[in-house]
Amino acid sequence: MAMTARPDLPAEPGQRPRRRRRRSPVTWARSGGMASVVFLLPLLITFGFFSWLPVAKSLVLSMQRTNLVTAAEWVGLANFERVLADPLLWTAVWNTTWFTLLAVVVGFPVPVMLAVFIGELRKSRGLASALAYIPVILPPVVAVLLWKAYYNPGPDGLFNTVLGWFGLGPFPWLQDGTMAMPSIVVQATWAGFGGTTIIYLAALRSVRTDLYEAAEVDGASIWRRVWHITLPQLRGIMLIMLLLQLIGTFQVFTEPFIMTGGGPENRTTTILMLIYNYAFIAGDYGKATALSLMLAGVLSIVSAVYLFLTRTWSKT
Amino acid sequence: MVRPVHRGLVALAGTAMMIALAACGADSSTDDAGASDEPDLNAEVTITVSDLPPTEQAESRQAMLDKIADFEAAHPTITIDAQETKWAAETFNAMLAGGTLPIVTAVPFTEIQALASRGQATDLTDAVADSAAISALSPTVMESVTRDGRIYGVPYQAYTMGLVYNRGLFEEAGLDPDDPPQTWDDVRAAAKTITEQTGQPGFISMTASNTGGWVLSTMSYAFGGQMQEVSGDDVLASFAAPRTATTEALELLRAMRWEDESMGANFLLDIDDARNEFAAGRAGMFVHGADVYGDMVVNRGLPGEHYGVAPLPQSPDGIGTLGGGAIDIVSPNATPEQVAAAIKWIEYHRLGRLSDEEQAVTWAESRAADDLPVGTPELPIVDAAQYETYLGWIDSYINVPRDNYELYLSTVEDIPLVPEPPVKAQELYAALDPVVQAVLTREDADLAELLDQAERNVNDFIAAG
Repeated sequence: MAMTARPDLPAEPGQRPRRRRRRSPVTWARSGGMASVVFLLPLLITFGFFSWLPVAKSLVLSMQRTNLVTAAEWVGLANFERVLADPLLWTAVWNTTWFTLLAVVVGFPVPVMLAVFIGELRKSRGLASALAYIPVILPPVVAVLLWKAYYNPGPDGLFNTVLGWFGLGPFPWLQDGTMAMPSIVVQATWAGFGGTTIIYLAALRSVRTDLYEAAEVDGASIWRRVWHITLPQLRGIMLIMLLLQLIGTFQVFTEPFIMTGGGPENRTTTILMLIYNYAFIAGDYGKATALSLMLAGVLSIVSAVYLFLTRTWSKT
Repeated sequence: MVRPVHRGLVALAGTAMMIALAACGADSSTDDAGASDEPDLNAEVTITVSDLPPTEQAESRQAMLDKIADFEAAHPTITIDAQETKWAAETFNAMLAGGTLPIVTAVPFTEIQALASRGQATDLTDAVADSAAISALSPTVMESVTRDGRIYGVPYQAYTMGLVYNRGLFEEAGLDPDDPPQTWDDVRAAAKTITEQTGQPGFISMTASNTGGWVLSTMSYAFGGQMQEVSGDDVLASFAAPRTATTEALELLRAMRWEDESMGANFLLDIDDARNEFAAGRAGMFVHGADVYGDMVVNRGLPGEHYGVAPLPQSPDGIGTLGGGAIDIVSPNATPEQVAAAIKWIEYHRLGRLSDEEQAVTWAESRAADDLPVGTPELPIVDAAQYETYLGWIDSYINVPRDNYELYLSTVEDIPLVPEPPVKAQELYAALDPVVQAVLTREDADLAELLDQAERNVNDFIAAG
């Protein structure tokens, strides 16, 4: 095959390697480089103003004590020390970790299984997808308030009424230190599985159909097809979804904030609720941003470790 | 190695960061508003004010706009810019930092000490020194806005924490709604009767979002104890000694919950939940500010005739009850001219109706036209004689059954008003929430250990500053 020599290709054997010629700024501008900058500017300004500036501000704020009126006082790492000295921090860390574990164990397989199930349907696949997606359409606060009512601990609560028909309960749901967090996880899973299911369904479309046909010819059962074809083909997207779920669940706030207010006895107080309390109840923005940065740091490390450990698994 | 295009991006990002940091530095160097400077009273000044009634309350909104027009006519150098903004903890700091907080903002009693301690409310001591209207306010009420001898707000509406009860449930249970419980033993007995006779919780208690600690502190006062000990400049939480008023209050809750089973099944109630339960007829009694009639009846559908309020029962050692209400503060960003104008506006707008018949009648007439309550129980912020005169002016517009609150109204000024814990009150309330929750959700809750832990947490907060 004929090849055309290009100046930036490696030199032929025997010749001295030629250094890549750098373009001067003028050449770069004349060849249309400014256009890319112009196109990039709105994005940079938007990101700069709404994303990077707040991040930079929170970095500064975490080392200040301020009432947002008078000149802020630089306190170095004192805010971080105060956060670490808060006895409620470790309760919140444990609660958040517990929520994340439960949410992953309960919430991760549900959309995968549902997507596979819907994918196997011959009829009404669209209807099934729409039904699965309905909880996502409800505004989160409305959904949480509804579930809060369903979890009414009295015998006349919705769940307790239904369970009462079978001679079970009434259960204290959110009122009991042991049951409260799993109850919240069930609601969060219900609220979130629809969106994830749709993503898995889209990913399923990329699975090669000839593999299924070959498996069918070989007499593979539906479970073997799912186990040996579908799941391996989905693992890339599953990896990403698991990571997103880990990050998302670590930042859980709305559900415990509305359903339990962190109770009973701080058993559902999460890290984000602590940040909220520092900022809006105590008006201590230094402490709130310090804890926010600590959380962001931990999540970054967790994400990096996760990606490192699973880097071979993600490659098909 | 970083490729050239990436280098450019990194440089841009770095620049953006530096600009951001520089911007932060600029913010931080903003000078404190010189509220203590001498104001130029002849200068043109505009002040923004909160709590303009929404368009749904057309009459009240128009009444305020008319009042603004009258005020501006009488004070040609002052322009009032009224906004519908209302106090919310979540938005207050953002508005303050962004410079959009109204110059005059109404805040609840529960917030004023924390705002003052953080320098987020202007020190008004000098600005109100010559105000006859503000000087005439009840010293007890003024104490709530005073910190270290300085005044940080103007109270314009006050109430005491009382025993709010459902007259309908009282009747259904065979109790006399005109003879509400006056001791804690009476409360316990009435709660038990209500549950037995109606199946509804006889007594509920708020427990979440700091309200558990708030109500427990109130009950502790009624049982004879303070929450903090003040010794010179030192303040320490003091509710966990071997047996305190707080212990007694918790013992009462425990007895009602586990022995009488008269507190229902829901023990994670914030203030909204508790009001909803009460308004829906699912609670016989609870401890709350006596002023809640409007919210219960107008917003939550409680029949007006079912609303009852009695004074908070006091044990023989009781030291009083916690107060509440609304306070106008002045933004710390206000100029001296704006502070001076704000005080004039507050005197006219908030206090005028207590001393001026025409203003009182206009206020009452517009509220009645909007179906808002007039004449609800409150703690008078002026002396008894002036308050009676005021009630006479608005008498024909009173649309709530004041006879139903006879006991509260006749004793409201006899029960001492005890201020909030002086330091880190919200943190103290937050630390006590889990204690109340534990007592109501675990029969074997160890009160001494729980209170001891909560007290240590509060003292750690106080020590951390």
